[in-house]
Order: sequence, then C-alpha cells, then structure tokens
Amino acid sequence: MSLLLGLFLKLSAFSLIAFGGINALLPSLLNLSVYQEHWVDLQTFADYFAIAQAAPGPNFMTVTLIGWHVGGVLGALLATFAIAWPSSILVYLVQRQILGISNEGKKKAIQYAAAALAIGLVLSSAWQIALQINHSYAAYGLTLLTICLTVFTRWHPLYLIVLGAVIGSMGLI
Amino acid sequence: MSGFGGVLPWARRTLVEQDKVLSSEEFSAILGICQIVPGPNILNLAVCIGSRLCGAKGAFAAALGLTIGPICIVMLLAVLYQHYSNLESVQGLLRGISAVGVGLIASTGIKMLCDEFRYPVMLLVVVITVIAASYFHLGLGWVVLIVSPMALFLGFRKALK
Repeated sequence: MSLLLGLFLKLSAFSLIAFGGINALLPSLLNLSVYQEHWVDLQTFADYFAIAQAAPGPNFMTVTLIGWHVGGVLGALLATFAIAWPSSILVYLVQRQILGISNEGKKKAIQYAAAALAIGLVLSSAWQIALQINHSYAAYGLTLLTICLTVFTRWHPLYLIVLGAVIGSMGLI
Repeated sequence: MSGFGGVLPWARRTLVEQDKVLSSEEFSAILGICQIVPGPNILNLAVCIGSRLCGAKGAFAAALGLTIGPICIVMLLAVLYQHYSNLESVQGLLRGISAVGVGLIASTGIKMLCDEFRYPVMLLVVVITVIAASYFHLGLGWVVLIVSPMALFLGFRKALK
C-alpha cells in the first residue's frame, strides 16, 4: 500500500513542474522510477516508452504503464490520476485569469517565456532519453533519420513508428 | 482514441471545423494557455475546453473521456508485453519504436526552436535550460526555478518589440 502511496505522491509532484508536457518530464521520470525507486528496470522503462509511443492517445501513457507495473490496474489508474490532477486543477483555476489579462503585452511575455523554457526542456529530454535507451549506432541513426524526416517532410508520425517497428523487428537495431 | 502521434490536430479538426463549438481564435488562445501551464498539454486542453462548455463537470468529463479509452488499450498492450517480451523480434521491434519515439520528441523541440530565431536572445534561455538539465543534471524543478526569471524578463523584452 505504501508503494502505491509513494507512486501517487511522487508523480503528483511531477505534474506541477512538467513545463513542456510529459515529453519534458521523461528524464526525471526515468531517474525516479529506474534509479531512485527501482519500480522498473531500464529495459522495461524503454519498452514501456516504446509501447506508449505506438499506442493511440495522449503521450503520458508511459506513466500509466509504470503504474501498471507497480500495482496492476489500480496502479495504472492511480499513476495516471496522479500525473493529471494537480495540473488539471491549476489550469482550471488560472485559465480565466490568463484569458482575462487585458494587457496584451503581458500575456505575450508569459507565453514567450513558457515557450522558450519548454523548448529547452523538450530538447534536453530527447538528448537524455536517447543516451539512456539507444544502445547502438543503428538506434542513433534511426533517431536522426526520424528527426530529418519529420523536419523536412510532412510524413505522419505513425508511418515513422511503423518504420521503426519493421527495422527493429528485423533485428537491425 | 484516434490520436496516433498526438491528439492535437485531431482535436482542432473536430472542435473547430466540424462541431463549431469554438472559433479558431478561441482554440488558439486556449491552446496558448495550456502550453504555459505545466502538465500533460492535451489534458490541460481538455480541461479548458470542457470547463468552457459545461463548467467543472465538463472539465472532468472531457479529461475522463480523453484518457479512459487509451488507458484500456495500453493496459491490454501491457498484458501482451508480459507474455511476449522474451521474444527476440518483439524486443527488436520495441527498440526500433523507442529510437523513433526519441526522434519524434526531438523534432517537436526543433520545430518549436525554429520560431525562436525571430528573437535570437531568447535562445539563451533554451541553451541554459539544456546545459542545466543535460550537463549539470539538475532536477526539473530546479531548472524551472533557475531559468524562469530570465525567461520572463526576456519574454517581456520580446513582447515590447
């Protein structure tokens, strides 16, 4: 029981600092669940990350899967709820205030600041996660290929995930 | 449920273009807020739009509606994973997908980064954030605390331009 309570409290705290969304949170999540709390091992974390990427729906499913690993269906629901409730209540409370700021400049300033912070966090997240879960040059190659294809073409991400799955299951990664 | 690779474009199409419950400007304004506030962006969006339409009950319903289907699917996948994760091909498949997944996250950041070149001083915030998080391995909370005053300061400068 105390395991589930710890899961709930730690993930709830993450919710309020996750600027840039769950993608920015991934390295902290990895650190907490693999190295600090030993909820899952690194390979399982990487696999859950992959499953969450391939599944439809919001990208916080990595959290759901870690919860599932710790405490079954109850753990999954608890983890998802934990990552969701603090920020949801925050946004519910502040949306009116922000929409109500009549000073256009102030509104813009906050938006610019948050955007820059989010970009930095998302980029360093990608970097740190890559270092943890890519184990071969081929994997880094595939990551770079994905970046090039998404930046320079308008391919749907699903095609890229299928591409990764095919290359991976042939044992090339 | 049909939110492969992110729910956002799909949400916009349904809410703005088909059901016309929001105007395009309203959608953009709400999206702007949801990206400021920490937490899962798409869930924030659901809460904002749900509460706009039906108050607190709407917010709750929207958040629940968005998550319940995907949670069921992902748990189904987790059960499959438990049974087949020892297969060589499944391990490879997941390695392939996670390599692509990292690339997708990086390119989200890179695409957003391109917008910042219109006010290059702001790149300083991005660089410091990356160094603090990746080189000094500071926790997310610390990075946010250290960088946000500077980000706000430059944000005001940029807005005044």
